[in-house]
Amino acid sequence: MDSATPAAAGGFEPRITAFVCNWCTYTGADLAGTSRLQMASNVRIIRLPCTGRIDPMFMIKAFERGADGVIVSGCHPADCHYNAGNYHARRRFAIFRELIQFLGIDTGRITFSWVSASEGAKWRDIVNDTVTRVRGLGPFTAYRKLVVDPATVPAAKVTSKEVPA
Amino acid sequence: MTELRELARRLLSEGTVNAVLGWEEGPRGARPAFVTTPDGADRLIFDPRCVHDLASYLSPRRPHLKKLGKVAVVLKPCDARAVAGLIRETQIPRENVVLVGVRCGGVLADPESTAPLSETTVADRCRGCPDREAKLADHVVGTAGAGFPGPSRRAQKIEELAAMPVDRRWDFWQAELSKCVRCHACRQVCPLCFCERCMADKSLPRWIESSPHARGNIAWHITRAMHLAGRCVDCGECERVCPEGIPLGLITRKIAQVVSDRYDFRPSDDPAVPAPVGTYRMDDPQEFIL
Amino acid sequence: MSTTTFIRTADLKGLVADFNAAGIGVAGPARTSDGAVDYQSITSFDAVVLDAQPRNSLKQFFLPPTEPLFKYARQGQDVAILEVPMSFPPRVLIGARPCDAAAVEVLDRVMNWDYKDEPWFARRDATTIVTFACPGGDRSCFCTAVGLAPDATRGSDLLLAPAGDGYVVEIVTPKGQKLVDAYAKRFATGAGVDATKAYRDTARASVEGHVPARPDVIRAWVETHFEDPFWAEISMRCHGCGGCAASCPTCHCFDIVDEPETLTEGVRRRNWDTCQTSLFTMHASGHNPRHDQCGRCRQRVNHKFAIYPARFNDILCTGCGRCARTCPAGQDVTEILTRIVAMATGQGGAA
Repeated sequence: MDSATPAAAGGFEPRITAFVCNWCTYTGADLAGTSRLQMASNVRIIRLPCTGRIDPMFMIKAFERGADGVIVSGCHPADCHYNAGNYHARRRFAIFRELIQFLGIDTGRITFSWVSASEGAKWRDIVNDTVTRVRGLGPFTAYRKLVVDPATVPAAKVTSKEVPA
Repeated sequence: MTELRELARRLLSEGTVNAVLGWEEGPRGARPAFVTTPDGADRLIFDPRCVHDLASYLSPRRPHLKKLGKVAVVLKPCDARAVAGLIRETQIPRENVVLVGVRCGGVLADPESTAPLSETTVADRCRGCPDREAKLADHVVGTAGAGFPGPSRRAQKIEELAAMPVDRRWDFWQAELSKCVRCHACRQVCPLCFCERCMADKSLPRWIESSPHARGNIAWHITRAMHLAGRCVDCGECERVCPEGIPLGLITRKIAQVVSDRYDFRPSDDPAVPAPVGTYRMDDPQEFIL
Repeated sequence: MSTTTFIRTADLKGLVADFNAAGIGVAGPARTSDGAVDYQSITSFDAVVLDAQPRNSLKQFFLPPTEPLFKYARQGQDVAILEVPMSFPPRVLIGARPCDAAAVEVLDRVMNWDYKDEPWFARRDATTIVTFACPGGDRSCFCTAVGLAPDATRGSDLLLAPAGDGYVVEIVTPKGQKLVDAYAKRFATGAGVDATKAYRDTARASVEGHVPARPDVIRAWVETHFEDPFWAEISMRCHGCGGCAASCPTCHCFDIVDEPETLTEGVRRRNWDTCQTSLFTMHASGHNPRHDQCGRCRQRVNHKFAIYPARFNDILCTGCGRCARTCPAGQDVTEILTRIVAMATGQGGAA
């Protein structure tokens, strides 16, 4: 699979943050790993108890800290370990997605999915498709440019001091 | 006006309430009034300059008003939607407040305005407002104008923005949101922003950077919009108070459209109708989820 | 009296062009996209709007809403401090209002009190303030009640007042003199200060009488009425939004935050803050000594009219009236001060 092969030297490799629920998608991703399915290595997984715990703020924080794309995934409807966490999350994600689209963020940078514990292959596809898509969108420089780093302007002098215990 | 004053006087003199929250003539146009004596009832006014949402004063995040005890509050239909929100979310017991509805045919954009209410001077949020009186109210007074037809200019602007390429929308919002100085006036006046400690004020961890740079600003405005999704009653106070003139109403209005389209929910003054975020249907649309 | 010169309107436009050509930044009151007037960067004098008070004040040019103080990076047990430059390019503020120019000088005192504020004075040194005598204000203006005037020179380097086909220029400071000398060809001999008297008198008449000019009486009453029910009464309508402080030319409180950029690096920033919010005085323990809006409303009046005078012998208010114009709940400083004077002088004042 194309996205599973490392890009040519100097090519852009997106950084993807994945927020997944503990019970389904994390286990599904684990299955993909133990099944030795080949997939892109661009994804850093953050495990949460439930999609209901995934505050939209997490996705904003990921972009603030340099993510180029985000994957959000949890149990299929009716499969939630806590019965209804994913139903609540679904409404929030739907509203969030339309909000950021309205504010000018390309929703191609976020993948929402349901991946069960037995769907290792589906997880592989979600990862590979997201990496390919975000690679096409390029680095999320628009978000990174929001704050001009004072370190990019010439420093006057550098001092050093002990970290207080 | 006489009807309103007589009612307020009666509520105060009979001891039904300790204070009546309404509007009075201030140094710069209409402003909120806190009437605590029967004679003070003569200060009360209601006209199209009474734009303020007095439901904000019922929010539990105002400990200095708790000592007033039981109060009556004068409400336009939009303000009643905010009171319904506070009751729905168990912030105020219904029996602790007397609601005096005023019939309303739209208000001006600015409480200082001296212009007569017309198609050109009416507050944009009043265009297309279907409500002439608050059904939630204990008493309803006054007479209402016919109201003003929609669509609002905001709705047109939202369509215009939606038609833009995504990066042009980004540029539009960056130009607007970069003006934000993070005074949080939008939060302070909001009748539904009643959290004891706002997420924006929390520093361990610091989810929303408090600095008024573009990155902190977009995080704040996204969070504010998300937390008001399905709760905003479109009273327009956030946009009115913004010292930088950011069109915040475009964001809250857009979210209201999304909530209406997807979940068939429009804010009403019926506290028994559950809010769309915090509830769900098993067959909610999920076309965006793989 | 300071020395005067004259500049024709055409030369004023040329002067701004000269600044542009010399790479000197220019800011002045100009129309924004939403129809308001803000002090902002301009490239032509034609953009300057002089007949409306700008929505913002000048403080942002010296104390920006947010500014980095330094960058830090953990290196093992050490922290490396990467300082940000504290030198700023030259800038001219043209079309400043006397109340806003005066505010900057009022703030010099607190900025050079127990500690000399480096970025504040670096920006002060780099900036020349060219003030235009105010054409007059609305009912919320009261500069004459706090010792200023629509043609006050305080805080300005040059003060211009219209006369004939140009402006009489009062040279207030050496910095102003330096600007006039550097662009001598733009200045000429013309009418004297006397020619602007009618203009100044009209402006003065428009702002007088809105607040009794008794700052001493106000200070004495505020200092002795900390628990007065007056504060509870006026604070009822306050939302604690801080719009007054954001728009105020003299409100200068700030917060300092460390913002991590990565696990090991971050930036220390200084951001505007306001005493009108609960968080301003919140202790880490959860205790809040200024626990409700009553105390916060009192604090604003107290700081401006009693605390600052006691410490710096100066009033932390220039009578611009922005707080009254911006308040979403119709809180009006002219009303508050007038009632305080009335109560202090035994003429009642209760609602």
